[in-house]
Amino acid sequence: MATPRDAQQFAYAQDKLTFLLALVPYLLDHGRVTVREAAEHFQVSEKQIRDAVSLIAVSGVPGETMQYQHGDLFDISWDDFDERDEIVITHMVALDDSPRFSAREAAALIAGLQYLQSLPENLDSGVYSSLMDKLARGASESPSQVAVARSDATGSLAEVRDALARGVQIEFDYLSSRGSREHRRVDPLRIDSDDENWYLRAWDHLREAVRTFRLDRMTDVRVTDEPVTGSHDDVALGDRLFQGADDDLVVTIELDPSALSLLGEFVSSVDARATDAAASVSGRVRTDIRVAHINALKRLVTATSSAVTIVDPPEARAAVVDWANEALSQYRSAGLPAAGRPADPASA
Amino acid sequence: MSSQKQPPAVPVEERLFSLVLALLATEAGLTKSEILSTVQGYRQRYDAYGDNASLERQFERDKDDIRELGVPLETIETPGDPGNNQSMRYRIPRTAYELPADITFSPAETTLLNLAAMAWREGSLSRESQRALLKLRSTGVETTEPVLGYAPRIRTRDAAFDPLSDALTRRVTASFPYLKPGDASARLRTVSPLALVQHQGRWHLKAFDHGVGEPRTFLLSRITGPVKVSRQPIEVAPGGYAASALEELDEIWEANVADLEVLPGTDAEVRLARRRGAERVDGSRVLLHFTDVNLLADELAGFGPEVRVLGPEPLIAAVVSRLEAAVAAHQEAR
Repeated sequence: MATPRDAQQFAYAQDKLTFLLALVPYLLDHGRVTVREAAEHFQVSEKQIRDAVSLIAVSGVPGETMQYQHGDLFDISWDDFDERDEIVITHMVALDDSPRFSAREAAALIAGLQYLQSLPENLDSGVYSSLMDKLARGASESPSQVAVARSDATGSLAEVRDALARGVQIEFDYLSSRGSREHRRVDPLRIDSDDENWYLRAWDHLREAVRTFRLDRMTDVRVTDEPVTGSHDDVALGDRLFQGADDDLVVTIELDPSALSLLGEFVSSVDARATDAAASVSGRVRTDIRVAHINALKRLVTATSSAVTIVDPPEARAAVVDWANEALSQYRSAGLPAAGRPADPASA
Repeated sequence: MSSQKQPPAVPVEERLFSLVLALLATEAGLTKSEILSTVQGYRQRYDAYGDNASLERQFERDKDDIRELGVPLETIETPGDPGNNQSMRYRIPRTAYELPADITFSPAETTLLNLAAMAWREGSLSRESQRALLKLRSTGVETTEPVLGYAPRIRTRDAAFDPLSDALTRRVTASFPYLKPGDASARLRTVSPLALVQHQGRWHLKAFDHGVGEPRTFLLSRITGPVKVSRQPIEVAPGGYAASALEELDEIWEANVADLEVLPGTDAEVRLARRRGAERVDGSRVLLHFTDVNLLADELAGFGPEVRVLGPEPLIAAVVSRLEAAVAAHQEAR
């Protein structure tokens, strides 16, 4: 189950230009191609192809007369185009080969490949390095210095991937965000990753719904021989890992705006609200968030205590206090360390 | 052509496309006035007897836009008349424009590249990777089958990412307020960017810091305000800055070890003990590598009583101070 990508629309003139520069060599190479084939190949709408071909057909170079005479322009077989929806370029000017990558385009793909190297496919690293080398040579300048360290997924990834490829169910123990350990049996649908975190999106037999599981919370993973219960083609897997539920808890928090991204996937939704006066003085904003369970929120807030504070309800505030105090008591009984400034090896 | 009538507007992409075609077609190059007076999209607005200042500015922006796409737009100075803007000629050399013929991609490689592009779903690099895919498809290669079952994602949540990546590509200096842990307030840094790297899920900038006269590594999440990208060009000697920045971070990661006690059966035990490089010693103790004591302390504080830090001392102090801050911020009634 791949994410169906809708036909991409180009919002910027630069992207439209890239499309034109990419389309011409493809059309020349193919000689004759239907609008539909071209649209599928480039993953754009048929209208985008027709618009682009119409533009190409009247474009060209000023030529010797500086007047864009007939021979200075591209030409297509209009009968084929108008009547059969087929594209045949009958006269070309100036442009016949595919363009090089820009420094940043090559860098984006190279960094993406670096990130993917942690996938448990049977690919030796030579495949990656030869690809990266081609991208670098195919760029008009040396690729921008952007790199992503490979993200080593925890153990279960290979098993889950195997089950997904063979279309069989898997069983595992799962420590839920509510803190309880449960046995699950699922039809794996897709493996999602988010930076260094890996997730399994799966049809949960117990809940009869799609659920998202953190791979590093899954233990005793067992790949069964039983085929999955259905293709689940009707299930749309969006980009969001977690969906809100009716019994979500609404919590009012105050936070530093720069910390908003930290909340990320932890919360199912953020309802932005007008800042109140007191909060805005400190540069903080107030907002309502919806969370599945206080258990996850108290962890998040304790981890970001300098940037996020719970305002309401009081039970949520109390949960943080208890959580942090419980942790502190371990240190008190062991004797608190002498106050010292934390070393900071990685930062400037 | 009547000069009285308002010329029909030529779409931007048509003007840019015509400019690329015209500059690819010329061997000797075209001067600015030749371009403005003859190329589709400019010629309609060109005034042979008047002032074309706004059209000239348009041409300057178009040149930048085209170059950003990786199109090698060259300027040639007229011998004997260097520095003269009006006699300068522009062209796009074919060999530098075209993808070399020996670079081809197999269907399997294309599949992998599609997946790599998919990882960028936000920020400016998502546009870059989509453009790269258009160019890849231009070569006509088909994917064998879509890669089912994976949806990778690299985040660029830090607001500083896009402007810094811009400064990096344009080779200009950038400045930003940076809050170093332990400092009371952020300080303005002016740097020459060398590389952007993601390590342990965090974006770092490797840059030459003009304030100290040395290269430094900055965590993007500690940039507390807007990044100003200057127009000040910098000389950066070619080098594998990104790779060496990652190596440095790895070395720091390797050298730092946290000694932790985890409560059996908890989230902390399940997750921390399975991290890359984590080592379990006698049951509940876990040795964990880390790069940044403050980042790890944030994370460990979140695990609450599920984990107790045994060492090193600075990590214990950092975790304790976070726990105390969490209590202080939440205990009194508001």
